[in-house]
Amino acid sequence: MLAQQIINGLSLGGVYALFALGFTLIFGVLSIINLAHGAIFMIGAYAALHAVLVFHFALLPAIFVAIVITGVAGWILDKFIFAPLRARRAPHLAPMIATIGVAICLTSLAEGYFGSENLRFPPDILPSSTLSLAGVQVNWLDLKIILLVLLLMGFMLWVIRDSRTGRALRSVAESPKAAALLGANVEGLFLATSVIASILGGVAGVLIALYTNAVFPNMGQPMLHKGIAVVIIGGMGDVRGALIGGFFLGFAEVLTIAYIGSSMRDAVAFGLLFSVLLVRPAGLFGHAPQRRV
Amino acid sequence: MEWLDSFWSTYSTLVLSTGTNVLLALSIYITLACGLLSVANAGFMAIGAYSAALLTLHTGTPLTLALILGAIAAAMMALLIGVPTLRLSGVYLAMATLAFGEVVRILILNAEDLTGGALGLNGIPQLGGLLEVMISVTLALYIFLRLAHSQVGRSMTAISQDEIATELMGLNVRAYKLFCFVVGAALAGLAGALNAHFTFFISPNEYGFERAVEILAMGVIGGVSSPWGAVLGGSLITALPELLRGMGRYRPLINGAILIIIILYSPKGLWDGLRSVLRRTRG
Amino acid sequence: MLSRAVLFTIFFVCLSCTSAVAQIKIGIAEALSGNAAQYGVAIRKGFDLAAGEIASSGGINGQKLEFVIEDEQGKKEEAINVFKKLIFQDKVLMLFGPTLSNSAQSSDPVAQAAKVVVFGTSNTADGITSIGNYVFRNSVTEADILPVTLKVAAQKTGFKKVAVLYGNDDIFTRSSYDNFKKALQDLQILVTTTETFAKGDVDFKPQLTKIKGTNPDAIVVSALVAEGAPIMVQARQLGIALPFVGGNGMNSPRVFELARDHSNNLWVGSPWSLESPVPENQRFVAAYQKSYGALPDQFAAQAYDAMYIAAQAMRKLKVAGKLEADRKALRDALPAVQWNGATGPFSFRQARGRDGKPAGYDAVQTPIVMVTQRNQYVIQK
Repeated sequence: MLAQQIINGLSLGGVYALFALGFTLIFGVLSIINLAHGAIFMIGAYAALHAVLVFHFALLPAIFVAIVITGVAGWILDKFIFAPLRARRAPHLAPMIATIGVAICLTSLAEGYFGSENLRFPPDILPSSTLSLAGVQVNWLDLKIILLVLLLMGFMLWVIRDSRTGRALRSVAESPKAAALLGANVEGLFLATSVIASILGGVAGVLIALYTNAVFPNMGQPMLHKGIAVVIIGGMGDVRGALIGGFFLGFAEVLTIAYIGSSMRDAVAFGLLFSVLLVRPAGLFGHAPQRRV
Repeated sequence: MEWLDSFWSTYSTLVLSTGTNVLLALSIYITLACGLLSVANAGFMAIGAYSAALLTLHTGTPLTLALILGAIAAAMMALLIGVPTLRLSGVYLAMATLAFGEVVRILILNAEDLTGGALGLNGIPQLGGLLEVMISVTLALYIFLRLAHSQVGRSMTAISQDEIATELMGLNVRAYKLFCFVVGAALAGLAGALNAHFTFFISPNEYGFERAVEILAMGVIGGVSSPWGAVLGGSLITALPELLRGMGRYRPLINGAILIIIILYSPKGLWDGLRSVLRRTRG
Repeated sequence: MLSRAVLFTIFFVCLSCTSAVAQIKIGIAEALSGNAAQYGVAIRKGFDLAAGEIASSGGINGQKLEFVIEDEQGKKEEAINVFKKLIFQDKVLMLFGPTLSNSAQSSDPVAQAAKVVVFGTSNTADGITSIGNYVFRNSVTEADILPVTLKVAAQKTGFKKVAVLYGNDDIFTRSSYDNFKKALQDLQILVTTTETFAKGDVDFKPQLTKIKGTNPDAIVVSALVAEGAPIMVQARQLGIALPFVGGNGMNSPRVFELARDHSNNLWVGSPWSLESPVPENQRFVAAYQKSYGALPDQFAAQAYDAMYIAAQAMRKLKVAGKLEADRKALRDALPAVQWNGATGPFSFRQARGRDGKPAGYDAVQTPIVMVTQRNQYVIQK
């Protein structure tokens, strides 16, 4: 049973990490807790579902549709909400509250347009064969998600560390004023980050919808809670943090269920969270908040 | 007088809810005014609600006493977790307090024998009334208004602007922050205890993430420059669903849109926004 | 569905024009948005269907029915506010709702205190009808159904030990679990392990893996279809080919859409079945499909019957136009109603309040036990 639970931990962790990736990116670069990330995640799932059900797209084109729609959503989010708030020097909680409003609107729109019942992708859209190795059942989809998460992380790490855009992003995250003085297109970078983070959220939405066989208007909410936990544990604003934090949380939950008791699962997860915050608030990979004296 | 009777029958719960929401908004105002980004008040609300409800339900405690004990229970919990948690700042504090709120909810959920778990507490005696809510709100508002204009209030503002400088000036910053945190918790606990007594039934799920976010929204929308902002924020958030009732299924959509618009055009809160509009029209 | 809405709007507009005809005003408070909307909307469709049929057959004693429909959003404070508005502002004769048991615990006392009949069609938790004698419901409680389901399922599949999986943070699934636990004890069926999940969870493999390790003969699951269907799918993916025994919440044709090939071998007991051969049910299913283009579920069926049951009581009344007296007369006429509807023969049974005195009214109906086979619920005798 342990072997199977390890596989379960990996796939659950992969799911969490995938969601947290976009969430942590916006926090890291824009310093905003984007509570609309769950809603954008949901929109990605619905966009792909709609493409499949109504326009009879295959899976890959449907994912492309999700990318376009959520990319546009991210663009609108920065252009019409984050940027104006930056221009007005709003207190730093204001964007977060705005994203709450966005989440409410998006969820309501989805409910109104698609209805509130659970929907699912047609089963033939993805081969759902299960591999059976040494008594352990592994789903092809689980494997694909884990691989994709690792690939995406690797790619993003490379971008952030070695490319010019990545360096510009890091400097903006460190100090927008300094970066602007040095010639970085700060507003453009913020916009790009919002778009990319939303796309990541949208892709996560499609994959997780396939994994769980469930698309419903509030699907982003529980994921958002987990996402917050992941970025706290892993370190906010750091891509490695999302990865490690995601797998860490996934394993913590699975092992709690397996060996302590499933009713304690949330208590353990949040207890862990709390301890991380008290012992090392920056999380595993975050940097301690800088005090500019 | 018949008009008043009819109004009261229909809207009594709404009025009482406005009162408790104003208390919740004030509870977050005081922490924000001290520069603390605390989102734990939903958890403190739960502690106050369950303590008071269990007392009146099982031991027949009179309402006023139960309310006070509920507030004290919340305050004690705040004291307990405040000391380690308040070392954090900014978003980290926000996250820690959010996590704390969830832990409270889960503990209540699992302590079935005491709290009824997911089944909730049913049949809470309907002792809660207008008098207690009004007294609580008036008292809290009065104290905070006096505070804002006093030395204590100025110290709090100083802390929220720059902690290090304030510390260097000789103020015991940690004591002030703890004070705000505990007072906020007591208010939230009081609000929870009141709410339990005019809604007959409480369950762990109503004190989760959604409630925490709602309380935060009330504080931010109203604005933290003055306790009146909290009154505005709390009242607006309570009244909005009622005012939008005619909108049918578009209600949440319009709710969300209004939230966005308020923040965009008045990021420091409505109270500030209204005052600047008044100033401009006057000048 | 659009045509239904249009019909209703026209109906409503005509209603407001004909002020000469006395009207019977009924309040409907259901969750039409938010998390519970999928149930509230189904319930509303059931009400609309029945109301339309009653209207087209001449109304109640020649009087037309007027409905005031409010969205209680699945939130308890909203349920209270909506109830108060319907009772004191709209001055309805009676009200239907709310959708969730949680909301009912808060809002039903309001109706009881105001002496207005509140008729729930989807509240199955304990502590609701004990509120008072103005509280009615036709949703059969799990306490009445589960023992029968377990007995029949055990008989037919021969299971001796089961694992239990339930949602521990929702009053409905929790209450259902308490009843399962008691029934399992009474039938002396061994429980190999008990696992929990939370509402909104999407991954149940850890719990299912643990369950698999304890080697049960069947899995008892207390969940609504939103979680129940993924549970079945993931169990099959993990190689668990055991039968599932579900509570009320799993009785929905959506399980076939959501779980597809993995939906077989699910045992449920319920007062209503899509396949029930009762002629009223066949008519209901056909009419529902015609109006909404989809198969009805239990929520719609019970709402449909509830409207007819209430109509029966109203037929016995002489609506005098004096609100207080009319409301009381309705309450007095309702308990005696017996009806053969889509859910079969129905009558009320009085429950006891917390103080032991007689209180509200529960449903008396025989549960039908079914098992899923090839995308159908097959009734088991």
